[in-house]
Amino acid sequence: MEAFNIKNLSFKYAGSDFCALKDIDLNIEKGEFVALIGESGSSKTTLLKLLKKELSPKGELNGEIFFEGIKIKELSHRDSAQKIGYISQNPDSQLVTDKVYSELAFGLENLGFGKEEIRSRVSEFASFFKLSDCFNMNVNDLSGGQKQLLNLASVMTMRPEVLLLDEPTSMLDPVSAIDFITALKRLCDDLGTTVIIAEHRLADILPIADRVVCLENGEIIADAPPRSICCQLKDRRIYRTLPEVSRLFYKLGGEGEAPLTIREGRKFLYKKNNLHINYSVNEIKTEPILSAKELWFRYERKTPDILKGVSFNVNRGEVYALVGANGCGKSTLIGVLSGRLKAYRGKVKRGGKIAVLPQNPRDLFVKDTLEEDFKSVNNSYTELCNAFEIISLLSRHPYDLSGGELQKAAVVKLLLSSPSILMLDEPTKGLDSFAKSELGELLGNLGDITVLLVTHDLEFAAEFSDRCGLLFDGEITSEDNSREFFSSNNFYTTRVVRLTRGIIEGAVTEKDLYEE
Amino acid sequence: MTKHLHPLTLFLWFALIISMCVITMNPFCLAAGFIGAALFLICQKGHAALKIIGFSFFIVVIVAVTNPVFSHNGATILFFVNDTRITLEALIYGIAAGVKLASVVLWFSCFNAVFDSERLIYIIGRAFPKLALVISMSLGLVPRMLRDFRSINSSLKAVEKRRIKRHLGAFSALFTRSMEDAIVTADSMRARGYGLKGRTFFNRFCYKFRDVVYSLLFIVLFMFSVVLNVEPEFYPMYSCELSLGFVCFAALALIMTVFELKESLKWKLSISRI
Repeated sequence: MEAFNIKNLSFKYAGSDFCALKDIDLNIEKGEFVALIGESGSSKTTLLKLLKKELSPKGELNGEIFFEGIKIKELSHRDSAQKIGYISQNPDSQLVTDKVYSELAFGLENLGFGKEEIRSRVSEFASFFKLSDCFNMNVNDLSGGQKQLLNLASVMTMRPEVLLLDEPTSMLDPVSAIDFITALKRLCDDLGTTVIIAEHRLADILPIADRVVCLENGEIIADAPPRSICCQLKDRRIYRTLPEVSRLFYKLGGEGEAPLTIREGRKFLYKKNNLHINYSVNEIKTEPILSAKELWFRYERKTPDILKGVSFNVNRGEVYALVGANGCGKSTLIGVLSGRLKAYRGKVKRGGKIAVLPQNPRDLFVKDTLEEDFKSVNNSYTELCNAFEIISLLSRHPYDLSGGELQKAAVVKLLLSSPSILMLDEPTKGLDSFAKSELGELLGNLGDITVLLVTHDLEFAAEFSDRCGLLFDGEITSEDNSREFFSSNNFYTTRVVRLTRGIIEGAVTEKDLYEE
Repeated sequence: MTKHLHPLTLFLWFALIISMCVITMNPFCLAAGFIGAALFLICQKGHAALKIIGFSFFIVVIVAVTNPVFSHNGATILFFVNDTRITLEALIYGIAAGVKLASVVLWFSCFNAVFDSERLIYIIGRAFPKLALVISMSLGLVPRMLRDFRSINSSLKAVEKRRIKRHLGAFSALFTRSMEDAIVTADSMRARGYGLKGRTFFNRFCYKFRDVVYSLLFIVLFMFSVVLNVEPEFYPMYSCELSLGFVCFAALALIMTVFELKESLKWKLSISRI
């Protein structure tokens, strides 16, 4: 039976001549797990919102959408609320109430369920999503990942037939993102809920999807099972964002269905005996501009130490990536290095002005247009805007920009204050692969400006940094040139290293590997 | 013990005691109310209670000193200050009024200590379900906005050195962001069926038989203490006698503290056996 049946759908936003969606024909079977992929601006969100009556944007709609055989326009509010669950990007602002248990009960209260029924469903789903320990907590005390799981759980308590998710992991760090996707998969396996998810973490989502639908400029350009989608998208721009494993498969002469996981990829590589490695090494810089000596830090007198003797140097003109697990003190270290927090022991030597890009780049913008914001720092912004290709965005409101555009604008705003050291806290959070590689290249071309970035994103660190340090338990436990760093690590390393370990040594990114 | 009772039962207890404290001028009853509140508060908050109790003594002293200055009734003259009589009766009345005020303050702090947001929202939600949701939403929103403000402010430090300008900028950014977030929240509410007819109000409290028993006990004690209470004479001569009403009210004011102590004793005993 069909969950959604979309016939010949086109959509224009009110007051716009531009077709956001064109000729969409799509059948989604009950129980299917559909991944909706596409660059930012390809109208994934618009399509998802049109499937949920309460959230449908205003505009001119042609064609029909049927949900379980009923036109979506004729669906009652009650049915739509109960049967179709919707989860958006921002974990914080989706939360309605102040406590975890009341958030879980919110939907059921609206539907008018009795106390006993609510009680049993809430406790059931809280334990399914491992939220029992924080059941009595304030929602504000949860981590971002827990908040998003709570959002998912509080939709699931209504037992919807279909779940629509709009980039649910884009505001989460990679570890919580994988936790979220794992929970989602468990949910579908156990309850058989139909899922339509827009995602840009394709390496994680494709292996568990039944089917992938790819949008480009509001049109469906491919609709296939995950193993064959890569082949169909070979000549498209979006190909760059597909999982490395699949792309390497085709690059190394693979034919037919692409592998999606490391294990499958290795099976393929074992058969190859003509691989070789080719890469260029950047020159090593040696003049330190920022040095930390034996930094010790704790937030309050009685709390444990966060930094336990961190010592390292960052050299002038290099891109240094600091990696480490959640809660190992990376952001704290940035705070101490930039002078926002004060270490109780140890010394920081700063050889120049420091600018910090916060985790949420929106924090930097206070005016109504980008131009005004730039002007408030420095009047000669045109050159930088040209270099960063954001000159056309100057009249836009900062909040209307996409994640990638906003990130670039934030870097420009910081550069306008002419710092010699730029620190970036999780710069790839919420960016799709295009925006990521664009940002990475820009960071590499800043010339004399030194970049220190703190990230979870190992692929990004491997591709765009000169040196890498691992922060573990409040100390820098290993530090090396990025290439050496990643090829010597076993698990905490890039997918390509995990893919090629023991088969061919020295490959760190996809670009390094060739077939002779 | 206290926390195991249903919020309505607890609410009834507080309401009865506070109204008795307001109605009566009997010094014995007031003293019982004051001591009962102080003990209960110590039971609930430990050391932190002492500060509030200290403050309540301060209230007593202020009122006790002020009353004789303005009221000159009473037969027993203590002394004269610049030709104005200071009488013993006015002083006693002042002390009684002070204790009354202080005990009401203390009982409200006790109420505050026992009624966390969940209980409070439950009590309000019984009468005004929508208001309860608004309160619950604000309790989530306000800390979130504070946190956002701090994070925007510290991010702006790199580009804006002037403190006041930075604060203003952060404030306006916070406002814009809150508006944006409010749209998402509203969407999330509608998406989950807010606005449907027949919304229920979920709570995790259970009205048990024990609550009936306690509520009846509280009401009976209260009625006896009101009916059997003998109001004192202050002017021209102070006279007051102990009555059964005082005994009932003292029982009402101390009952929870006694139960709490009994429970903690039980707990310590059972721990010592492990």
